[in-house]
Amino acid sequence: MDYSRLGRVASAAVVAAMVHGTAVAATQGTLGTTSTGSISIGASVPNRVQLTGLTDVTFANQDPASNASNAQNVCVWSNTSTKGYNVTASGSGAANAFTLANGALTVPFSVEWAGSSNQSSGSALTSGSALTGLTSTATNATCSSGATSSASLIVRISSANLQSMQAATTYTGTLTLVVAPE
Amino acid sequence: MARNLASATVRLSGNGTVALARWGVRLVPALACAFGLLLGDPLAAASNKVRISNLSDVAFGSVLNLSIDAVRSQNVCLFADTNTNNYNITASGTGPSGAFQLSSGAAAMAFEVQWSSAVGQSSGATLTPNVPLTGQVSAATHQTCGNGPATSASLVVVLRSAALSSAKAGAYAGSLTLVVGPE
Repeated sequence: MDYSRLGRVASAAVVAAMVHGTAVAATQGTLGTTSTGSISIGASVPNRVQLTGLTDVTFANQDPASNASNAQNVCVWSNTSTKGYNVTASGSGAANAFTLANGALTVPFSVEWAGSSNQSSGSALTSGSALTGLTSTATNATCSSGATSSASLIVRISSANLQSMQAATTYTGTLTLVVAPE
Repeated sequence: MARNLASATVRLSGNGTVALARWGVRLVPALACAFGLLLGDPLAAASNKVRISNLSDVAFGSVLNLSIDAVRSQNVCLFADTNTNNYNITASGTGPSGAFQLSSGAAAMAFEVQWSSAVGQSSGATLTPNVPLTGQVSAATHQTCGNGPATSASLVVVLRSAALSSAKAGAYAGSLTLVVGPE
């Protein structure tokens, strides 16, 4: 065996590994009745989250004598090792407050979040403050396979606030949710 | 080679035993070569040997967009010294049973391997682990493509978006082994 040649090949392999930033360098085949070569493959997947499955909320002709509540299932996907995430909500009111408005008329609403589907209540969110320590069960980024949803979003308007609203008047607003990996 | 054959033939006519002992090593291949030349047998020209070279490691780096496929292709040298320049190629990965799989601790991520017997391709025939892709033809005229075509085939490695978006975050690594045989 030509060990000097083998040494040169090994040196070249180390250089190649450094160039490509991978653990093992490619090996080249030799001439023969079969020839075998190999390469290393490397890839890095960064932390990612995705929030989908959101639906607009409409409270129509609400009876002011009763609390109004709307719960919906949403999909939160996280690819971290723990599938952890946090969620931060903000409204379209003053200082990102959770309020609906019609001109100068405003009414507050509240937002809750649960880290599982089909919940009618959850942890209360404060505008601009992250609710941490949540875990997703989603196995697909948009829940198109596996679990069809992984969290619950609950929006409420209390009876007291409903009673403060002007009748036959439409109040609108926007709720923005930001999800981040943990 | 022709000169050795002539010399051996003369000695065979005088003392075949001595001549065979002395020239036997060169006589047998010389005769075979001579018969091949006389009959014009093209089979004698092919050694049925193959070689794969010019392989490079594949580094995807940090895949920022997980919603699209990540593709890396490379031109390689595949030399096949057969009558038809045909060859087959079999690939295996480092996953279970040779699966094309990268790993990051206990987490795994599948990848695809494609092969084309033409250079400069970004897609090709999809390889199945441990299953030969047959009927490939090499245009290489030198075993390491040192002259003639600089490369003769394309190797394509694909990380599908479905695999990327279902993989846990982390650094994944694995290897791919390619075995070439003559046809």
